[in-house]
Amino acid sequence: MHRFKFVLYRPIQLLPVLIGVSIVTFILVQLIPGDPARILLGAKATPEAIAEVREKFGLDQPLVLQYVHFMKNLLQGELGRSIIYRAPVLSVVEQRVAPTLFLLIYGVVLSVLLAVPLALAAAWRAGSSVDQAVRVFSTAGIGLPAFWLGIMLMLLFSIELRLFPVSGYGEGALSHLHHLFLPALTISIALAPVLVRNLRATLLAQLESDYVSAERAKGLPERAIYLGHVFRNSLIPTVNLLGVNVSWLIGGTVVIESVYSVPGLGQLMVSSIFGRDYLVVQAVTLMFAIGVILVNFFVDIVTVALDPRVEM
Amino acid sequence: MHFKWLLPAGAAFAAAFGAASAFADGGTLKIGRDQDSNTLDPIFTIENADIWVLNNMNAKLVEVNEDMTGVAPDLAKSWDISEDKTTYTFHLREGLKFSDGSALTASDVEFSLERLRDEKESVLRSMFQVMEDVKAPDEHTVVIELEHPSAPFLSALAVFSASILPEDVVKERGDDFGTNPVGAGAFKFKTWERGNRIVLEKNPHYHKDGQPKVDEVQWLVEANDNTRILKLQAGEIDAAIFIPFSRVEGLQNDPNVQVHLDPSSREDHVLINHEHPPLDNVKVRRALYHAIDREGIIDAVLFGHGTVATSFVPKGQMFHNPDTPTYDYDPDKARQLLDEAGVEDLTLEIITAAGNETQQQTAVLLQNMLKQVGIELNIVKQEPGQTWDTIVQGEYDLSLNYWTNDIIDPDQKATFSVYGENDAKSYYTRYHNPEVAKLVEKGRTVLDAEKRRDIYYKIQEMAKKDVHWIDLYYSPFRNASHQYVENFHQTPMGRFTLEMTEINK
Repeated sequence: MHRFKFVLYRPIQLLPVLIGVSIVTFILVQLIPGDPARILLGAKATPEAIAEVREKFGLDQPLVLQYVHFMKNLLQGELGRSIIYRAPVLSVVEQRVAPTLFLLIYGVVLSVLLAVPLALAAAWRAGSSVDQAVRVFSTAGIGLPAFWLGIMLMLLFSIELRLFPVSGYGEGALSHLHHLFLPALTISIALAPVLVRNLRATLLAQLESDYVSAERAKGLPERAIYLGHVFRNSLIPTVNLLGVNVSWLIGGTVVIESVYSVPGLGQLMVSSIFGRDYLVVQAVTLMFAIGVILVNFFVDIVTVALDPRVEM
Repeated sequence: MHFKWLLPAGAAFAAAFGAASAFADGGTLKIGRDQDSNTLDPIFTIENADIWVLNNMNAKLVEVNEDMTGVAPDLAKSWDISEDKTTYTFHLREGLKFSDGSALTASDVEFSLERLRDEKESVLRSMFQVMEDVKAPDEHTVVIELEHPSAPFLSALAVFSASILPEDVVKERGDDFGTNPVGAGAFKFKTWERGNRIVLEKNPHYHKDGQPKVDEVQWLVEANDNTRILKLQAGEIDAAIFIPFSRVEGLQNDPNVQVHLDPSSREDHVLINHEHPPLDNVKVRRALYHAIDREGIIDAVLFGHGTVATSFVPKGQMFHNPDTPTYDYDPDKARQLLDEAGVEDLTLEIITAAGNETQQQTAVLLQNMLKQVGIELNIVKQEPGQTWDTIVQGEYDLSLNYWTNDIIDPDQKATFSVYGENDAKSYYTRYHNPEVAKLVEKGRTVLDAEKRRDIYYKIQEMAKKDVHWIDLYYSPFRNASHQYVENFHQTPMGRFTLEMTEINK
């Protein structure tokens, strides 16, 4: 299994990426004008109180020192204290990870469950009415903005049909599945079309391949050729595309989380940027970066597993 | 109906979770709001999202009375004030307890008030510097010595920051007290899932009999306005606050929902930088006033749900002067005043917070109105966090802003907005009229109510004459609840009287 040895050294390659991300975020957030202490305390606070907050959170120190301090803490597993929430950053962030993770996985699973049958049906008889319908769906799905689609789904499923809650996260795994169905559906209505188009095109291209003609000549049933060989060979580009899109989705949860009031990282990111809560922004960015890296890592593993010829 | 396949799945979900809610007598009141709280330590915040939760968890020595003309007993059952008006003696009720069951004694009061005055990050500490000494001679008595007589002192003690907290718990939890607080109010802190909800439960040790009525209050974060309203209509929450003005009428037509437009102390205004010529000329400032059709702004931006502001002390608040000089919408007059001031081709910049719809709309209307009198107005959108810096540093001509009162006494707002001899620089307008400043100082020390009223009437009249800023409008709170929710009310000071709220399903 030497083809999988990259699993061992890949994490080491990732370290510089994370450090790079942390430096860039650190500088970018600090570049936004606006004093965190003033935003926190508002107009009514005295300059004294503002100076005190700046001192307490080390905001009066040079930028380089602040970064060094941040890294030193990070290496000790300390994320510092949030200026807005007056609580350890870790305690603020940790509650937010699960909802975002749950939503992302749910959305991706729904997307795949939706995309694979649709693409298979469409490519089975290119140009048929089924194919046409799938293509209309994928074009429409890509074009619908999430904030609008979200409200429409709520009106239909929550207000008219009363099947799913309007928003929220619920308690317990089954309740999460129930609460997050609409947000996950919103994700998949945007994501599935991308996958459908890609998978359908790849399937059609594969159907033209020589090996398909050879198998047909041998008398293999069409269904076996389609599902057993063509489908499997078409998966690699789609898996890679899925990886790219999940990375994009991690950033895109912001909109969906706020429409559906999911208490996840995306919402925390927005409020922390508005409040100039530098350390929380840092922490969430690092989480997002780690998430993207993990997704790509996972895609690499799947790719290698799917195609014996690929090496990393 | 291609969504039919979802019906069985959804119905199964609904069956599994819909029936699970079995609550006790008083029920749970779920309130949706647009943002989460930041901290629940009363001295470290000035955010409404914090204050409105704190108000129902904490008790103070005194509270604002119902008609907002003064204070009423809360933890203190009575108090005496010395001849020279510098010694206040408070007598606590017997058998007071915090929500964790521990005794609330005079030493907790001493600790809480000293902390409020002395902690450097305490946001409203300047209001309490007048306290020279706080003592607890026995368990039920608190004696406060003031440096000098102070008229606003009693109403200051009713502010959320002056909540009485348990000394040992605050000391033990330190910085974490704000995420895990204990108080002596009608409700007890239960849990806080950040970004999701804060759960408060009935405080069994609350000192007022028969309150609160509901067993539990949940403050849910529903940031998106549409979602919050849909959730209310779907019956998933019992009340929603911060209804956009554009949605008020639609909700008023929903038979299941009641809309509460409770009066507030909010006043929206245009700050004017008096250090930027020609805005230092009162004629130019008056010309701006005459050029603005405030009724038009209220109709367009607030959908009519507001009234023209006439003074910086809002209508309905203590010592509001109903007869200040008026500046009617009169573009001709505005042009004439500009002529007299010798101002031509004036270009001004107005700072607005990006993403704030109300401000953007108002700014565009102002732009059109000022154009009619020959003033070019450039709208500068800044990221909300940046606007403070710009205003504090005085790098602006005009800016849209608002104020809500924390205490009923007008001293706090007068000191901040028209005094001009402190760091606030008259809300950073740099307005300074020595006569007004003298009156503001006098207003703090004169204790006779009628004389004080005259002083504040005079302050309002003079400041309005000087056009320290432009008063735009007073607007109400916009909350909505289901018909089965009774007594869901917000006082003008912003406090939800949830201890009186009932659910009658």
